Amino acid sequence: MQKKIIDELRDMPKFVYVLAMLVAFGGAVGIYRLYAGLGATTNLSKAYPWGIWISFDLSTVALSGGAFTLAALVYVFHMHNLHAAVRPTVLAGLLGYTSVLIILFMDLGRWDRAYHFLIYPNLNSALFEVSWCIALYSSILVYELSPVLLQNTKWKGAIPVLEKYTVPMVIAGVSLSTLHQSSLGTLFIVMSARLHPLWHSMLLPIFFLISSLASGLALIIAGATVSRWVFKRSLPQKLIAKLGWFLPWILGVYLVLKLGELEVTDELHYLFTSGKYSVLFISELVFGMIIPIIMFSRKEVRHSRNASMIGAFFVMAGVVLNRFNASWFAIQPLQGVEAYKPHWMEVAILVGVASGVFLAYTLIGRYFPLFDETIKIDEPKHAPKLIAATE
Amino acid sequence: MTNLTISRRNFLKMSGAAVGALVVGQMLPAPIAKAAQEAGLLDENMTGYVTSMCEMCVWRCGLRAKIVEGRVVKLDGNPDHPHSRGKLCPRGQSGLMNTYDPDRVLTPLIRVGKRGEGKFRPASWDEALDLVASKMMAIKEKYGSEAMVFSSTHNLSQLQFENLLNAFGSPNYGTQRSLCFNAMIVGNLMTYGMEEPARDYSDTEYIILTGRNLVEAVSTSETGDLMAAIHRGAKMVYLDPRFTRTASKADLWLPIRPGTDLAFHLALLHVIIEEKLYDHDFVANHTVGFDKLVATVAPYTPEWAAAITELKATDIETVAREFAAAGNKALAHNGWRTSNFENSFQTARAIASLNALVGNWGTTLLPASGGHGGGALGLPPQPPYPRASATRLDGVPWKYPLVPFKLGVFQELRNAIISGKPYQAHGWFISRQNPVQSLPDRTRTLEAMGKMDFIVTVDIFLNDTAWFSDVVLPEASYLERYDPLHQIGNRVFIRQPVIEPQGDAKSALWIYKQLGERLGLGDYFQYIDEEDFIRQQLAPVGASLEELRKKGYLDLEEHEGEVDLFHWNTSSGKVELFSDVLDGAGFAPTAAWQEPPMPENGRFYLLTGKIAQHTQFATQNNQLLHKYQDEPRLWMNPKAAENLRLADNDIVRVTSDVGEVNIALNVTEAIRPDCVYMTPGFGHISKGFTTGYGVGASDSVLHVTYTDPISGGQALSQTFVTVQGI
Amino acid sequence: MSTHTTNGKYGFLIDVTHCIDCRACNVACSVQNEVSMDSTRIWMNGTGVVGKYPDLQSFTAPFHCMHCNDPSCASACTVGALTRDHDGIVRYDEDRCIGCRYCIYACPFQVPNMDLNETMPLIVKCDMCGDRLDEGEQPACAATCPPGAIQFGRREDMLAEANRLINENPGKYIHHIYGEHENGGTSTFYISPVPFEELGFPIPGATSSAYYNRLVTHGTPAVFGAAAVSLSGIYLTIKNVQEETAEEARAAVIRSAQAAESARAAERAAATEEEA
Ligand SMILES: Nc1nc2c(c(=O)[nH]1)N[C@H]1C(S)=C(S)[C@@H](COP(=O)(O)OP(=O)(O)OC[C@H]3O[C@@H](n4cnc5c(=O)[nH]c(N)nc54)[C@H](O)[C@@H]3O)O[C@H]1N2
Ligand SMILES: Nc1nc2c(c(=O)[nH]1)N[C@H]1C(S)=C(S)[C@@H](COP(=O)(O)OP(=O)(O)OC[C@H]3O[C@@H](n4cnc5c(=O)[nH]c(N)nc54)[C@H](O)[C@@H]3O)O[C@H]1N2
Ligand code: SF4
Ligand code: SF4
Ligand code: SF4
Ligand code: SF4
Ligand code: SF4
Ligand SMILES: [Mo]
Repeated sequence: MQKKIIDELRDMPKFVYVLAMLVAFGGAVGIYRLYAGLGATTNLSKAYPWGIWISFDLSTVALSGGAFTLAALVYVFHMHNLHAAVRPTVLAGLLGYTSVLIILFMDLGRWDRAYHFLIYPNLNSALFEVSWCIALYSSILVYELSPVLLQNTKWKGAIPVLEKYTVPMVIAGVSLSTLHQSSLGTLFIVMSARLHPLWHSMLLPIFFLISSLASGLALIIAGATVSRWVFKRSLPQKLIAKLGWFLPWILGVYLVLKLGELEVTDELHYLFTSGKYSVLFISELVFGMIIPIIMFSRKEVRHSRNASMIGAFFVMAGVVLNRFNASWFAIQPLQGVEAYKPHWMEVAILVGVASGVFLAYTLIGRYFPLFDETIKIDEPKHAPKLIAATE
Repeated sequence: MTNLTISRRNFLKMSGAAVGALVVGQMLPAPIAKAAQEAGLLDENMTGYVTSMCEMCVWRCGLRAKIVEGRVVKLDGNPDHPHSRGKLCPRGQSGLMNTYDPDRVLTPLIRVGKRGEGKFRPASWDEALDLVASKMMAIKEKYGSEAMVFSSTHNLSQLQFENLLNAFGSPNYGTQRSLCFNAMIVGNLMTYGMEEPARDYSDTEYIILTGRNLVEAVSTSETGDLMAAIHRGAKMVYLDPRFTRTASKADLWLPIRPGTDLAFHLALLHVIIEEKLYDHDFVANHTVGFDKLVATVAPYTPEWAAAITELKATDIETVAREFAAAGNKALAHNGWRTSNFENSFQTARAIASLNALVGNWGTTLLPASGGHGGGALGLPPQPPYPRASATRLDGVPWKYPLVPFKLGVFQELRNAIISGKPYQAHGWFISRQNPVQSLPDRTRTLEAMGKMDFIVTVDIFLNDTAWFSDVVLPEASYLERYDPLHQIGNRVFIRQPVIEPQGDAKSALWIYKQLGERLGLGDYFQYIDEEDFIRQQLAPVGASLEELRKKGYLDLEEHEGEVDLFHWNTSSGKVELFSDVLDGAGFAPTAAWQEPPMPENGRFYLLTGKIAQHTQFATQNNQLLHKYQDEPRLWMNPKAAENLRLADNDIVRVTSDVGEVNIALNVTEAIRPDCVYMTPGFGHISKGFTTGYGVGASDSVLHVTYTDPISGGQALSQTFVTVQGI
Repeated sequence: MSTHTTNGKYGFLIDVTHCIDCRACNVACSVQNEVSMDSTRIWMNGTGVVGKYPDLQSFTAPFHCMHCNDPSCASACTVGALTRDHDGIVRYDEDRCIGCRYCIYACPFQVPNMDLNETMPLIVKCDMCGDRLDEGEQPACAATCPPGAIQFGRREDMLAEANRLINENPGKYIHHIYGEHENGGTSTFYISPVPFEELGFPIPGATSSAYYNRLVTHGTPAVFGAAAVSLSGIYLTIKNVQEETAEEARAAVIRSAQAAESARAAERAAATEEEA
């Protein structure tokens, strides 16, 4: 037994150890943060009460949007040929949301009262909605993922029962996602005084929802290629191309709405007159929308693994930039206050949590039947010991 | 900067802890609280309100302290008190933080290390008092009473301090007065025969403030009165080389060249006389020497003054005409800390004369009312004082014939300690004063202390002076003790303890009595305790202490005797525009021009002046005030900074003839290009201040000692400095 | 702008021409409310010293919670720790707060403060000295202000006084009562000789951001319902269509099989006939 574990550990790729160390370090800093308070461990202030953590959370939720997008496509829209991507994407989603919850916990000044959001409702608060939705939706993701986790255990008999309710659960999950993805946009509506008008809009919830669809799809596309490198497993390119086909449409609507809204509210002039803010906004438009729209409109791109991966990265970068802008870069400074820059401990905790996500993904991929339905791409030299593969 | 700050959670807790420690430590029932309970001020939970008096500065606003379970949690102005009218200034508001300051000295301290090392050991009162008494007796026996110097700054128990030194027989008494208002007081004495006529703003239409930064150097009621007058539409003209908050409220700010206020006022006199705008009746009936004044000011034209003051002649003319037009509703403020230049006495005289010319006596300028402890109140019986054993070290009156004994010339006293002439002093008893900072030229003050065999300081903190003392006696703070009563007009106010004294702190009344007894002077301290002292004060007016405690004040019966408003206590009985006394002493008998020195090229006038958040050299350790103060930096005009290639926040070295300091620069338009300004009270030496230590720099290091021969006032703006980047 | 809120009972009137920047109000508030040394409920705003020597100007004013008629902070607060009471005082329940700091960003006046040096920090915000009001006293800041720059009383009286001062002193104040309409109306009014942006005051619009927030968050149940219903609908429609197509396909297969069968049968029959 011992020997088996040692062998197993020896067999582990090196980066797993690196990740584990980052997690351990981040964890230690995290505990210190809870003990020492926000002042000692972050550069947050009255002028910038939210920092890199919130930006990370917003980005992660948007990227994790892949899980609900795919679930909707497969189960609601009956595109069952995409089924192979469900498990890896749901796992990615679940890990994403878990990291969001951990970081949110870190961010709470009164983390000892984290449960208060469950028992003290403020129905006007977007953050209250978001908290509830994320909590519920995370549970649903656990549900959706449970077959993977149970398959090789003695409880595998429960799987058929669970699967019976998959569709209603998926519908609930997708609805919750619609809600919180958009509510994350709503969050900023009340912040009109601080958020630059290029971003502030009554359509923020719609923007956030649409962009989360795009970034979710992009994550599946990019993920398929990345997992090919890591696990030597992927989806058939035909499926990826199919997903890619949606992107120009979604991004097109997003682009038109964003610019249209500026036009209607008479804020289009900010586009070129706001200095740093103009650069940030135009970057979002060009790199996150226009370039990928052009790319994914072309068949060659959709059918090329590498090209669609690059396109997908553009989309994700655009959405992540959008989330960072809304919660950090485009928050207008207060007179006489230095702009926020994250403290190294904030970064360390973040890196720790992100490493945890990759670590968990790798290990689950290694020991659980995650890629059951995916296809094997070129024989690896050291075949990963996929337990599921021995079936 | 601040390493020991009190956080939200322990703000209350720590005051609680201090009280707890006391109760355990003393193993006694809390007598003050018990008395307060019996007087019906506190309930059985030691909760309620107690009225008393603020002593964060000398204005003495009435306060109402909120007590919860034996801790003072909030101070508010007493609505019935004429000095506060329900309001307290920032320092008054912060008072409980002074009392609960973790740096308070709460037990007598005896020095163990070298002087200035700051090493002390706690001692019992018996040991400390015995030591002080034996040292004082030894000095008296060996060198005579005069070898013992006493010094103290304006406070309610000063009465008993003076009692102690007079009974001891020393003529050497140093007060803050020569550093503060000697020029104004002597100027008024020479003109009106009284120290400081009162000002009434209720009817003013036109006010001239000469270096009286009344908006920042706050006296709650007077500052309020001034602001109310402005709100009502009164015009205010303000002379100051700095654009202070007072300047920002002025209709006309005149950034006058330092030391030339005299020229400005002489020109006002010139215009008013020339254009016959003065109150003929008043001048004819109630003044002497008008013709002499006319002759003196004849050459002082606005053009002449404009060249000296660097103001516009037209502005001077306008002010003169408008001031005169306002007639008896005009007021030229007689100033407070008027000791700026050696010519400041003449400025005070010119201002006093200006008021006389418009005949504002009885409307905006009134005879001063009340003093402390005087009037109808009684005092414990005591034998007459012995004759002073020698002439005074400070040169009053043999060198300074016109300076009243009461005022003295503190900086000259300090110099005489160093020179040992006319005789050597050996001991120094300091109470409620911080001469290491308040005297000019800190190096010399420390040198003087070095000459001493023995120094004892009574304070509530280990201030810079206590830091160099041999014994430190901790007084109870103003919220923890009784003081002698305070009378304003016909009303008598009480300072009474609102909480138990913390640690072993004791009232000055107690300390002086204990010392008096140990010095064999018990007959001069015939009271059992503080309450007994006050009861004896109250005896002649037939009032009870209990009643006074409850209300916080007491109205005395009006004196029926007619006071003649138009009789002055001068030799002529009139307002003296020309003074025989001055003439006799060989000084200019009417206000006359006296050229102030000017800095040579490359040097700046060094200005000092109060800020609203601090009192002198006493409150910089107060965590609340520290929190709300501006960072103390050296003000410099951008033009000057550009010339010196200095930028905002640069650390600069400021050098005078006697010292140098390093300080951060504040480049601001709010000052004349030929001046720099430092906030007094920073740059403490004492490490007994956790919050205040290491903050800012001390301007006392830079000040050169210059004394006006007439009033004895220290010329605090007459120091010139260079500034360079480092 | 229908923010359907009422005016508060109490109000402040702060006269900028009257404030001397002494900060007694700041100190008083810190003591009254045991506010830590590192954050505050009230602070000074001001123009700084403006102009070129010797033509200078400087104005200051204290700033604290405006007590909005429709408070943005309250609509943002995750757990309802900030609420507006029946007197119009926007209060903070420190036992509820989770320290998310959303209110700090939500308030258009940059009011809520937090002492992040506390290990378990809480929001620091003016509550109009509710405890003092209960005892029949003025708020600590207003009570102590030496020149009386802060007045406190009934909201309508304060507003009337502001109007009176402006009207009776032509040229002294600009024609704007800050706080009357800002963020949907508040209980704190300022009158000033200079435009409020010069004093460093935030300039929010006349409709509270809480109103816009509500427009969206009140739609939440509807969004959720619509999503669930339409997703179910899509699921069922596609399922039906697919089932129907499958059914049809099966029927077609069966039909063709039957046809083939009958054809074969016919063939067989024919063959047998031939054999016969
Ligand atoms: N907040 C606060 N209030 C106080 C005190 C305190 O410490 N703090 N102290 C109290 C005491 S003891 C006193 S004496 C008074 C003092 O109060 P004030 O009489 O106002 O005296 P300062 O503040 O010392 O100085 C006032 C101004 O004089 C200016 N000045 C310097 N030289 C000249 C000059 O040659 N001509 C003119 N025209 N102006 C000049 C300085 O720039 C400064 O702004 O304040 C009392 N009130
Ligand atoms: N550079 C410079 N020098 C100046 C001035 C200036 O503006 N600049 N101003 C001048 C003027 S106007 C004046 S009036 C003088 C003032 O000069 P000082 O009187 O020497 O100075 P204060 O700071 O008033 O000293 C008061 C002392 O009393 C202590 N104290 C406070 N409360 C109590 C108490 O309850 N009991 C006892 N026993 N002690 C207590 C304080 O800790 C402090 O040490 O300074 C003058 N010198
Ligand atoms: S003016 Fe301020 S410090 Fe002085 S007595 Fe009054 S409240 Fe106290
Ligand atoms: S000013 Fe800010 S904190 Fe105060 S009630 Fe309005 S939104 Fe809330
Ligand atoms: S920090 Fe506290 S008061 Fe502010 S929004 Fe969050 S929970 Fe509410
Ligand atoms: S009303 Fe009370 S809590 Fe609000 S700022 Fe004034 S003193 Fe502070
Ligand atoms: S107390 Fe009054 S005068 Fe002083 S800063 Fe506050 S508002 Fe201004
Ligand atoms: Mo003074």
